[in-house]
Amino acid sequence: MISPLQRHDKLVRATDLDALSCRFNANQRGYFIPPDKYIPEMIRSYQKHLPFCQGYTNLSVNRTLRAAFQEPKLPLINRGTYFRTKSIDIVLDDFISQHENKCQIVSLGSGSDTRAFRTLEKYPDSGVIYHEIDFPESTKIKRAAIVNNSEIMKLIKSGDLIENVAVSSREEFESLKSDFHTSVYHLYGLDLRKLTSSSVEFPHVDPTLPTIIISECVLCYLTPEENVQILSYWTDMFTSSCPTATMAFLIYEPMSLNDSFGKTMVKNLSGRGITLPTFEKFPDLDSRKQFYTGFGFNNANVTDLSVIGGYEKEGQSWITKEEFNRISSLELVDEVEEIKLLLRHYCLIFTGIGQNIRNVNLFNKDG
Amino acid sequence: MDLDTDVPMEDVSEEQQQSLNQSFDQGSSTAAGGANTSANGATGSGSHKTELNPSSISQLDGWLDKLSKCEPLSEEDVKKLCDMAIDVLQFEENVQPVQVPVTICGDVHGQFHDLMELFKIGGPCPDTNYLFMGDYVDRGYYSVETVSYLVCMKVRFPNRITILRGNHESRQITQVYGFYDECLRKYGSATVWKLFTDLFDYFPITALVDNKVFCLHGGLSPMIETIDQVRELNRIQEVPHEGPMCDLLWSDPDDRGGWGISPRGAGFTFGQDISEQFNHTNDLSLIARAHQLVMEGYSWSHQESVVTIFSAPNYCYRCGNQAAIMEVDEQHNRQFLQYDPSVRPGEPTVTRKTPDYFL
Ligand SMILES: C[S@@+](CC[C@H](N)C(=O)[O-])C[C@H]1O[C@@H](n2cnc3c(N)ncnc32)[C@H](O)[C@@H]1O
Repeated sequence: MISPLQRHDKLVRATDLDALSCRFNANQRGYFIPPDKYIPEMIRSYQKHLPFCQGYTNLSVNRTLRAAFQEPKLPLINRGTYFRTKSIDIVLDDFISQHENKCQIVSLGSGSDTRAFRTLEKYPDSGVIYHEIDFPESTKIKRAAIVNNSEIMKLIKSGDLIENVAVSSREEFESLKSDFHTSVYHLYGLDLRKLTSSSVEFPHVDPTLPTIIISECVLCYLTPEENVQILSYWTDMFTSSCPTATMAFLIYEPMSLNDSFGKTMVKNLSGRGITLPTFEKFPDLDSRKQFYTGFGFNNANVTDLSVIGGYEKEGQSWITKEEFNRISSLELVDEVEEIKLLLRHYCLIFTGIGQNIRNVNLFNKDG
Repeated sequence: MDLDTDVPMEDVSEEQQQSLNQSFDQGSSTAAGGANTSANGATGSGSHKTELNPSSISQLDGWLDKLSKCEPLSEEDVKKLCDMAIDVLQFEENVQPVQVPVTICGDVHGQFHDLMELFKIGGPCPDTNYLFMGDYVDRGYYSVETVSYLVCMKVRFPNRITILRGNHESRQITQVYGFYDECLRKYGSATVWKLFTDLFDYFPITALVDNKVFCLHGGLSPMIETIDQVRELNRIQEVPHEGPMCDLLWSDPDDRGGWGISPRGAGFTFGQDISEQFNHTNDLSLIARAHQLVMEGYSWSHQESVVTIFSAPNYCYRCGNQAAIMEVDEQHNRQFLQYDPSVRPGEPTVTRKTPDYFL
């Protein structure tokens, strides 16, 4: 039997399967250009290793994976997944080009996200360094996927020394390495809640480099106090070593808007044992802006995914007309009101310290 | 003369009265139109009815009994039911005349328990007359039971309930949004899906309540100026990708005037100018339609020339919306009844998959 805390963490880790299966489906449907070729490796690693993870049995693994991958996603989910991925990519590209390809990206709770590989592929031999952090159990699965794939190994400049990870028991899985370090890529297996000012150190993170820290549906699983603790940890690390440091936070997560959709979401997710502690505490863009500026960040650029997708005012959309036409042609969407309702409940926030955070044009389009 | 043996006696006389009026109306309209009549070869009144024999009645009652417990019919019974339904629906008109009083309902989308709640709120059929504006299947988990139930009611009480076609009553859409998969899951083959989607071709596409309220699933079409033009369409076919029949099932009212491109990729958006012109030309007081999720269950647009009615509460078990139905009485007074999702102690909410979110 596992403890309530272990069960909680297991359910939180399992949300990565939701994210992965959404990306898998959107990719299958042709939403991503170029197509994401790293997703299948992540799925394979889950299939191989999930049976040895805490709280799973062979039976429940099958059930879990079937529930995640068997049924195709509805068009509105595919579209929302596309907007999520695309909008984060856009801010990231913007950041990278502003810093002339010399910067760091830190992904908190990166799960099986493939953005690290897509980014390193897009900016080869540049000064872009990618760091990913997640629970050890999750990074073991990711590491196994990486070392099994020569293409990824090349991208992250690890030569092509493929390791064939073969695990046949919990003990063997337990003993797998959860970290991985190359000159451009770093993977750390650790619990973000352990980040208190001095406890953990990241010798590979260079606090003098411009850095963007991404939380894509991660901080929302943590309490407001843990949120503050994590923000403080990184802020202290950067400001203490360099007063003019640029450290940005890019946050994508759901918010309740205090409406019946939000209440239904709380109910539905609690049925899965998932709680979102900041969902109702910071229910809308205003309260979130206040929270981040109140924390001491220069500014907080906030918007929601419905604006980004062009569902509020066409002129505010982050997606070009041609691109929107392209994705519209992929599948019929009969869910216009629903997609708007859903997307309004997801925010994208760009905040932090340093010169370039102030007012980002994308977030302030007039429409 | 149609005698619905199941209806209380005083109702029957009223009904005979109605169907007399109805025959007059229809006599003139079919003379003007005719595609609908040519499809079935009958002339004159659209109220051709074969009276139900006692054994059909008891069979239908047995099916309704089973369905009201949310148990699907056997494949053979679905076949029989669909055959009976074709016999009724093929004689209905593209613009099916409906008398007041009637309760007008919007999308149901396979939310069977909420449909039962609807009948609780609105009063049981056949005591209350109902007009459903389409979208019985897809998205919810009980499309099979929902559409079986409504079709069964239609065959059992043909003059008491009208079921229009929605854009989801189509072969193509049901393959994306769930009904096809549900049929495979519940019957092991696509036979039942085929039976129902073939039946959908016969559903009327619009209804006219007392010549004043024009009811349809989606909205107006730039190719349709008069209701008579709807009567001329050949509706017995799969919902086309474009053209007037497609528009009637897909279009939406919009704040912008004139015609606009629909974000749905089918149909159009139409402005207040268009609605007012249409109502004026056709001497209508209101266009009632469904098709769009509205958080309060109903929503006025175009200065009360168009109303949207949506009857699936907490749509997709995710949206948190209320549902509504609209009662129209003999004096054409309108009243909206709103309701929330049914509380269903017996329903397996636990085994039900949580609706998708971005996590
Ligand atoms: C919904 S997933 C999102 C994954 C990825 N960011 C994406 O968008 O595809 C949430 C991730 O956050 C990770 N996570 C949540 N709480 C964490 C913690 N306290 N420490 C480390 N990782 C955590 C989970 O393990 C999971 O991989």
